Amino acid sequence: MPRNPAGELPTPGNIRPGGAGGRSQGPEVRRRAGALAKPARRSSEAGSPGGSRGCWATRAGAAGELCASPSQSSVAPTSCPGNFPSRPPPLFPSLLASRNPCPWHHVNLSDSHDALAPTCLEAKLHQKRSGSTPDVASRLTDRASWTMGTYTYTSRPRALPCQRRRYRDGVIQPAEEPMPYGNIMYDRRVVRGNTYALQTVPLPGQPDSIEIQRQQQAQKRALARKRNREQLRPRTPEPVEGRKHVDVQTELYLEEIADRIIEVDMECQTDAFLDRPTTPLFIPAKTGKDVATQILEGELFDFDLEVKPMLEVLVGKTIEQALLEVMEEEELANLRASQYAYEELRNAELAEIQRLEEQERRHREEKERRKQQQWDVIHKHNETSQKIAARAFAQRYLADLLPSVFDSLRDGGYFFDPIERDIEIGFLPWLMNEVEKTMEHSMVGRIVLDMLIREVVDRRLTMYERKEDKQQSVQLEAGLGGAEAARGSLAGPESQDQSTSQSQRPDRDSLPRTLPEGRYTEITSSQERELVEEEEEAVSGEVRKSLGREELSQ
Amino acid sequence: MPLPDTMFCAQQIHIPPELPDILKQFTKAAIRTQPADVLQWSAGYFSALSSGDPLPVKDRIEMPVATQKTDTGLTQGLLRVLHKQCSHRQYVDLADLEQKWGKLCLPVEKFRALLQLDPCEHEIEWIKFLALGCSMLGGSLSTAMKHLCEILTTDPEGGPARIPFETFAYVYRYLSRLDPEISVAETEVYLSSLKDSVESRKNGMIGLSDFFVLRRKM
Repeated sequence: MPRNPAGELPTPGNIRPGGAGGRSQGPEVRRRAGALAKPARRSSEAGSPGGSRGCWATRAGAAGELCASPSQSSVAPTSCPGNFPSRPPPLFPSLLASRNPCPWHHVNLSDSHDALAPTCLEAKLHQKRSGSTPDVASRLTDRASWTMGTYTYTSRPRALPCQRRRYRDGVIQPAEEPMPYGNIMYDRRVVRGNTYALQTVPLPGQPDSIEIQRQQQAQKRALARKRNREQLRPRTPEPVEGRKHVDVQTELYLEEIADRIIEVDMECQTDAFLDRPTTPLFIPAKTGKDVATQILEGELFDFDLEVKPMLEVLVGKTIEQALLEVMEEEELANLRASQYAYEELRNAELAEIQRLEEQERRHREEKERRKQQQWDVIHKHNETSQKIAARAFAQRYLADLLPSVFDSLRDGGYFFDPIERDIEIGFLPWLMNEVEKTMEHSMVGRIVLDMLIREVVDRRLTMYERKEDKQQSVQLEAGLGGAEAARGSLAGPESQDQSTSQSQRPDRDSLPRTLPEGRYTEITSSQERELVEEEEEAVSGEVRKSLGREELSQ
Repeated sequence: MPLPDTMFCAQQIHIPPELPDILKQFTKAAIRTQPADVLQWSAGYFSALSSGDPLPVKDRIEMPVATQKTDTGLTQGLLRVLHKQCSHRQYVDLADLEQKWGKLCLPVEKFRALLQLDPCEHEIEWIKFLALGCSMLGGSLSTAMKHLCEILTTDPEGGPARIPFETFAYVYRYLSRLDPEISVAETEVYLSSLKDSVESRKNGMIGLSDFFVLRRKM
């Protein structure tokens, strides 16, 4: 429940005449709120001063706004209708004006100063009438009751918290007062939604302050939002040159603006800011007495004397340094020289080593070669002896073979005399032909002779027959058989001759043939024997020779 | 604040900044060279320093210092110094050489005696003088050649001390010609045998080990 029902409830029926809280509300406000039935914001604004009458006197900003209120022409017609003309109307338009600050309110502050006086008085009157400051107490009780879970409202009379300043800081910075009243939908005491989440009751002290802070921040945010909106709104244009805006009260009743600030201009001139000058050199005050004396050239400073330590240092250091350096360099050079000498020595030794290695290698190779050579010789020797043995064995084995082979060959007729063969092939057929020819000739001659004889015989026979005919013409008939017998007798010797010649002929042929043949075979056999003997001699000689050779080789 | 003309304290004595360095170098050179007559040597040192010539300073300190009483007083280090000073020319003026000889605190009589070995008019070939000096250092020819190699070589100290074979042969011929005991044929035979061994192994450079050990073996 809102703590100020009169302010927040829009209907006049809800307005409580402040009995429980002891709240005294101005009758005019109540009446006006009831008459207007304005939305919650405006009515709450109107109500807040009503509930905090006592504070009005102390608040400067509110007063300023009050006096600025008549200039709000936009509010004035709506908020000040003719419903209550009997009451002086400036209160709630001024409040409205405080919500909607105008850029030229500020300018008019001093002007409206005097006009505020009656309202201030009135406020004081109202304060007296209310006689208490209920807001704080009610708030405290509110807090306590809310934390208890059930809402009870008790409010002591109390002064309204001083929420509005008397003077506004500027146009850009309108009053940042906390909103005393707000929308019920944003009131944290009004529980919305699930109430189970509220079972965990926070500690009484701490969350409250956090809540308050949050609320204040929310209020500030709302204010800032509103301010932005206001700034975005078009304003009255700047006055033309040589003129200025002036507030004019358009109310029916003029008010003196009381809270005018008296301003006095004062001036003050400071010196220009100068750099600090340099601190002068500190010179101590002179003490003692000046005394003068004359010093001749060379009296104070003897160069030879003074230069001696320096020279000693110079020469000593130089010699020391030089000695050191010479020693160092000598040492280094010695080291280097010995190093090079050693390197030279090492090179020589390396070369010697290489030489020796090479020699060793050559020796080894030579040894290997000789070994190989010796092995070869031994192998060859073995081979040769084996060959010789094999040869001897083979010879001994073949010694018996040779004669038999020769015998069989000779028997096979593989050994022959070319002359004999020539005679056999060329000479004998020719001889036979020749013999045949001569035989033929003799035969032909014999035949020719036979024919001649026959001719002659025939002729003589014929002649003889003729003679016989002539002689034996008478005996002709008787002589026929005789002729035939004669003829047969004649033919008889002839056939006998022929048969003899024929029988003799093969004898004649065979005789000379057999005779030379037998001679020839004798001759050839003797010749063959000689040849075979010769060959045998030759073969035996060869064998002897080969044997002798083998013996020699062995 | 300008320095007053008169001096009042030792802090006003001004030392030239180059002085300590010069002094130190000089001291080092003197320590290293160990001249018999420091004054004479210093004169030579600073004149060479001012004229920008090679300084008469030994590279290494020589511990057995020649005393000039028993021996010639000439050392290999001194010869090296002379070589450093004179080797840029092929022929050196005798007077100049004598002056340099004297700056090294060596007796002039020895110089004369050295030149009597190979008398010449006004100038002498530097390599010949060096060879003569080397022969003066040590007794035998091979020792002289060893010294010569060590002076002439560009190898670092203690190294193989190689020199070109042509130079070696030239100096060897020169020195052996001065010695009446060594015949020319013997020299040539020796050189040719060396030449073969040298040229087969290392690109015409003869080192100390090539002839010195060899000679010692013989």
